[in-house]
Amino acid sequence: MQANANVQTGPVTMAVESKPKGRFNSDLTQVWIGVALIAITGFGPVILGNSYWIHTFQLVNIYIAAAIFQNMLFVDAGQKSFGQGAILGLAAYGAAILYGLHDWPFALAALGGIVAAVLGGLLFALPALRVQGFHLGFVTMSAAIVFPQLLVTLDKWTNGINGISVSVPELTNPVVFGMSPLAIAVAVFPMIALFAHYGIRRSKLGRSMFVAALSPEAARSLGIKPGVMRFTAFIVASIGTGICGILYLPTVAFVSPQGFNIELSFVFFFAVVVGGRGQMLGPIIGIWIVFILPNILLAQFVEYRLLMYGTLTLLAVLIFPDGIVGSIERLRAKRKQTGGGEQAFRIDGFLANLQSGKVARSPSEEIAVEVRNGTKKFGEVVAVSAVDLKVRKGEVHGLIGANGSGKTSLLNVLSGLSRLNSGSFTINGVDATNMAADRIANMSLGRTFQAPRIFSQLSLWDNLKIGVDARVGPASADITALAKAMEETFGQDSATLLSHGQRRLVEVMRTVLKEATIVLFDEPAAGLSQGERTNFANLVRFLSRQMGKTVILVEHDLDLVWGIADTITVLEQGRVVSSGKPDVVAKDPAVQHMFVGSRHA
Amino acid sequence: MLSEILIIVIRGIAIGSIFATIAMSFNIVHGATNIFNFAQGNMFILGGFAAYFLANQVGFGQWTLMLVLAGLLIAALVTIQGYITLLPLRSSVEQDSWLISTVSVSVIVAALLMITQGPFAYSVQSVVPSFRILGTRTPGAYALAIAAMIFWFFALRFFLRKTFIGLAISALSQDFDAARAAGLPVRRLQLISFAISGLMVGTVGFLVAPVISVSPDAGLKYVLNGFVAAVVGGIGSNAGTLIGGPLVGVVAMLTAYKVGGAYQDLASLLVLVIILMFRPQGLFGRVGARRV
Repeated sequence: MQANANVQTGPVTMAVESKPKGRFNSDLTQVWIGVALIAITGFGPVILGNSYWIHTFQLVNIYIAAAIFQNMLFVDAGQKSFGQGAILGLAAYGAAILYGLHDWPFALAALGGIVAAVLGGLLFALPALRVQGFHLGFVTMSAAIVFPQLLVTLDKWTNGINGISVSVPELTNPVVFGMSPLAIAVAVFPMIALFAHYGIRRSKLGRSMFVAALSPEAARSLGIKPGVMRFTAFIVASIGTGICGILYLPTVAFVSPQGFNIELSFVFFFAVVVGGRGQMLGPIIGIWIVFILPNILLAQFVEYRLLMYGTLTLLAVLIFPDGIVGSIERLRAKRKQTGGGEQAFRIDGFLANLQSGKVARSPSEEIAVEVRNGTKKFGEVVAVSAVDLKVRKGEVHGLIGANGSGKTSLLNVLSGLSRLNSGSFTINGVDATNMAADRIANMSLGRTFQAPRIFSQLSLWDNLKIGVDARVGPASADITALAKAMEETFGQDSATLLSHGQRRLVEVMRTVLKEATIVLFDEPAAGLSQGERTNFANLVRFLSRQMGKTVILVEHDLDLVWGIADTITVLEQGRVVSSGKPDVVAKDPAVQHMFVGSRHA
Repeated sequence: MLSEILIIVIRGIAIGSIFATIAMSFNIVHGATNIFNFAQGNMFILGGFAAYFLANQVGFGQWTLMLVLAGLLIAALVTIQGYITLLPLRSSVEQDSWLISTVSVSVIVAALLMITQGPFAYSVQSVVPSFRILGTRTPGAYALAIAAMIFWFFALRFFLRKTFIGLAISALSQDFDAARAAGLPVRRLQLISFAISGLMVGTVGFLVAPVISVSPDAGLKYVLNGFVAAVVGGIGSNAGTLIGGPLVGVVAMLTAYKVGGAYQDLASLLVLVIILMFRPQGLFGRVGARRV
């Protein structure tokens, strides 16, 4: 056993370690390898002095940068766009029209091109607000099909099929070491893109984007607006891809509709898949394989290129579903995987720690949550029927009833994930009947789900840190210390090996780190061992008595509920059949049948 | 002027019935597997190529025989594609791989056609004679397109409601886990749904070959319009495609007539975006209950 004696809060034991920890992921290592590889394609050909390779590898670098933004959009933000080639084309064409046909200064024309790309990205983001997955795939793919058609048809502005030739001598003339400003920009920009992707992924924005992509409900219950995240992702990707388009223009010195057909969009997408979805190095290796290989091997057979792209991608999906880099990374992670087992995520250690020196409080008479005559229907089914419910500040309120009695439906209403058909409810006296889930979350309400929203791609600590991100006010000293202790313990742990019960506890801790004052727990003890249950009961009592939180607890374990609840409400077929202090409810004839086999019978 | 509009509407409905049949072929696979086959447009075009190579300038008897053969060949091809697509879904947690594999198959088929047949549009002689409608010659294949849509609508309806295999596939689309728990051979049923979708687009591609552009790059246009038809009708609703397909077809023809042929795909894209923005469940689809 390893005790974290160096944590300032004192000796804490949260996890048992048997072997030294490897890094949870190799993102940073991959970034540095990526920078080295980009430097080779960026500066190498200039040293060799072969103009064919200089040109080819400049294009490779531009495509690498575009694929990096595709990777971010596709994996970190979960947006399946098949149209990034059109975004690149919008920027290149926008700048070409302004610079080549209207004689704007290049800098201004470039800005115009990026604006065009961002507008295109907004067009993609608009349907993404309503639909996801293959819908979005079809919309973006259609846009990529239509874009070159429009370039041909709108020949009054675009020069049609003939394209636009430009020359930007101030960018293409060598200045240092035989390199032009353009060559330097083309060599450096993919590196910037790589660091930008890494930075976004490590940031609160990146984590929020990720959670919104994988579980919109979890995101909203943490105060994240999934729509805003999608918009942000598309705009960031459009700016990045737009800059690629600007670099493309002087590099190729010519734009034509054929240059931006759907094939280009497929190249970026396929590169991400072949290289390894979500891997920092993925787009670089992907472009090398998908783009360079066919161009070297089959330079004279242009028509075989698409066949190669398609075949490589299909093979990758079948043989290396994680892509080249992803497969290597998985081997590495498997060898060094840490975490897991019964002891992987224990909460008793830091509880003892937090408890010291606190004054116990009792529930106040103020009302934290009040439901008045609330009814929720799903079609013909009445899930919650004319329910009145009062939850006092700081109390533990048990919500019990058989499966299908409306407990979870009521929690979903309270957290804003679904709306009452009639009636109303207030949170801390504020009417919240028609509030969106993210607004309710920002009123300091937190919740857990029956199926825990744990993200295997994030480390155990990052899974918890989502709660820290969702905090509304400044952190209290206790929570800061707790967060620090957890970061040190779980920073490199994987969440994949956690048992179901432990996953629920992770979600519970997420709401603790969020410092929600009202927490809704949906069957938190299901799947916990007897020992873990005792710990959990202690945690709930601690949250209520020491931290003054209001706890609404949906639970089937009646012993657990009677052990910790101040008030119990019994639901049956959507109606409240009994409510009051545990000993009163236990004697209520209306609920006697629930206690078969329980010690309260 | 009025008769011009009428002709546009009739031709739009005919072209739209092609979209509707493709949309129905999407629906049956989607219901059984939750997969949307991006390669369906290229499989449709293969039907057109089959007509060119197997049944150009032949008699009615041989043509009918070849129609069946083309349908079966493409059904077999789509079944193999389905098998490949379903392979990684068996174990992987990542359930998006089908998106990638069907897109890549679409690219592969188009590239193979481009390499072997060149970037040309092939013209196919019609077996069914043209007929006069409002004083204009209308190719017989237009009537075939509408007939095929109606045939496949009722054939699917019968299959899904009256046959054991069809009922089992319907069960899959309603509750996948329950169907698996009930002991249905899920994988085999899914492959059957792929086969049926291949049979549908293969035969329709064959039938309408005389009036479409049979070229390697035409597949994308049909997969796109078929998808728009499915979305307009409401994904999963075959009855919806009977309205959605013709609607998309008429919009495309009107656009070609009023604005220009080059704007047809743009018009379909706009229809798609408008429907998704304001009625994502489609005109006839139902809002699914959200699970939390």
